[in-house]
Amino acid sequence: MRTLRDWFDERLGFGAVIGFLEKKDVPRHKHTVFYYTGSSILFFLGIQIVTGVLLAFYYQPTLAGANPSVARIVTELPLGWLLRSVHSWSSTFMIAIVFIHLLGIAFTKAYRRPREATWITGVLLLAASLAFGFTGYLLPWDELSLAATKVGTNLPRSIPVVGAWLTGVMRAGEDVTGDTLSRFFIFHVSVLPIAILALLGAHLFLVQRHGMSVPLEEERKGGKGPVLPFWPNFAYREAGVWLILLGLLVTIAVVAAPGLGPQADLMSPAPEGIKPEWYFLFMFQTLKLFPARILGLNGEMVAVLLMMAGMGLVAVLPFIDNRPAERKGKIITGLAWAGLAYAVVMSIWGLL
Amino acid sequence: MNGRRRWVSILTILALAPCLAAGILGAGSQDAPEARAQQAAVKAPAEGTEAAPRPPKERMAVVVLLTWVWISILVLFWLLRLRVREADRVFNMGLRRTAGKAPEERGH
Amino acid sequence: MKLPYSLFSRRAFLNSLIGGWLAALGAAFISPLLKYVVLPTPEPDQVSLPLADVEDLAAGSVQGFAWGNKPGLLKKAEDGSFIAFVGVCTHLDCNVSYVVEQKRFYCACHEGWYDENGVNVAGPPPSPLRRLDVSVEGDALIVRRRA
Repeated sequence: MRTLRDWFDERLGFGAVIGFLEKKDVPRHKHTVFYYTGSSILFFLGIQIVTGVLLAFYYQPTLAGANPSVARIVTELPLGWLLRSVHSWSSTFMIAIVFIHLLGIAFTKAYRRPREATWITGVLLLAASLAFGFTGYLLPWDELSLAATKVGTNLPRSIPVVGAWLTGVMRAGEDVTGDTLSRFFIFHVSVLPIAILALLGAHLFLVQRHGMSVPLEEERKGGKGPVLPFWPNFAYREAGVWLILLGLLVTIAVVAAPGLGPQADLMSPAPEGIKPEWYFLFMFQTLKLFPARILGLNGEMVAVLLMMAGMGLVAVLPFIDNRPAERKGKIITGLAWAGLAYAVVMSIWGLL
Repeated sequence: MNGRRRWVSILTILALAPCLAAGILGAGSQDAPEARAQQAAVKAPAEGTEAAPRPPKERMAVVVLLTWVWISILVLFWLLRLRVREADRVFNMGLRRTAGKAPEERGH
Repeated sequence: MKLPYSLFSRRAFLNSLIGGWLAALGAAFISPLLKYVVLPTPEPDQVSLPLADVEDLAAGSVQGFAWGNKPGLLKKAEDGSFIAFVGVCTHLDCNVSYVVEQKRFYCACHEGWYDENGVNVAGPPPSPLRRLDVSVEGDALIVRRRA
């Protein structure tokens, strides 16, 4: 085994990477549990790629073929229903852990200098993950997903100046058609995977470059607190977390496998009870609450612009929160808690 | 469980519970428009709402698979625990691994 | 029989246990997935053609029919009996055609030729066209796989 390792090392030079990993330490403190979130996301991403490729073996991204091909996968192909169920649930798990990861970083203020770039790549990764969820949701082409996509792609329209054009880009025209399906498909299987892999590379490089961040209180203690070597101590623990997540995923996928609605009809009225995937619920509910007109301006436009402003703030949070240890930092933490509470309440409300 | 861990667990459950609920509810609501469409009996036969149909033989296979997955997870978890404890022991003894590895001992 | 020393260390044993069990867990997922990846699409055991469709076939001419996913070729001999072939070249799987003037089957991919009984006569095909059994039952022509 060692000679095999040496063979590769001589040609590819892994030695440096392995040497680095052997020296890498993970700080131990009361928030150490959040360090597991990153690799968990990677775990689910891997599952998504594998199940996604397998689903794409039989999925047909055409207007006529989409729904029947999914129906075929779910009914005829051996364990096709489980594959699709895993893919669907794993996307939920992955985005849930992305949010937990984001919250952990935000509340421990791990984005503070010099890790601002890591935060920015992270926010872009969040956007890519949500885009994955959004584009994937349309692919079965059933009534619910068509309706949800119509609503979702209508949103940019309210942005002044570029709104209608943006909607046109997303929909490949003014309406949702077979071209929309093709566009969403190629984004889901080609453009977004390349983007997420590139962003992931940058994100991981930056994380390794700066090392694991510690919460402010730990930093104040100065020096080095207790640590755990990444290899093998932390890595084995991560493997344990992965095992548990795998078990939960497969169990839920078996017990609560999603069905497939009837094929979407572009001409028929919208079905009742449309709602987007849970991670968009808080935005959906917010939009529902906004009145049609506010101070003479289009209500939806105000809502969309407010949401974009909010997202922009989140993206540049490290630059706003440039004095994390002082009062300004505490205020921002308070606002972050408020934002979280708002999102949770709106999501639950949107469910009811 | 000390206070912090409890908070983390609560937060995690709070964060994951809505998604679980949404997913399960969403899976159920996929059938609702289908039922209504059938009652309305508009144009084409509103078929195609398969909620993961499973013949009894396949159900058995799936239950077996699930049981095997969980048994494997428990076994692997236990083995991993052995490894983690060993790694922690080694680390706490201050035997941080350097470039060379000690040769494997032959039997104990 | 007690050995003076263990054949392998505890470490090696545990390593193999972990690796082996992981492999078993993986296998539990991989084996059904293999069936998913390579779908068995068996050929049909038999195909039934309405007699009315083939009655008007001129002697010495050929008509195509669907044999599962492959093209089937139904030929009416001079004496009025039917013979059927799987119209797939035995060389590299191209679909063959029947050239009436020459009374031979032709594969355009590498210029392979079969005579009117499907025997390979020229070009690269290594063996004759696969025969299928034909029988008339009631008002249908049944094409069957050869036993």
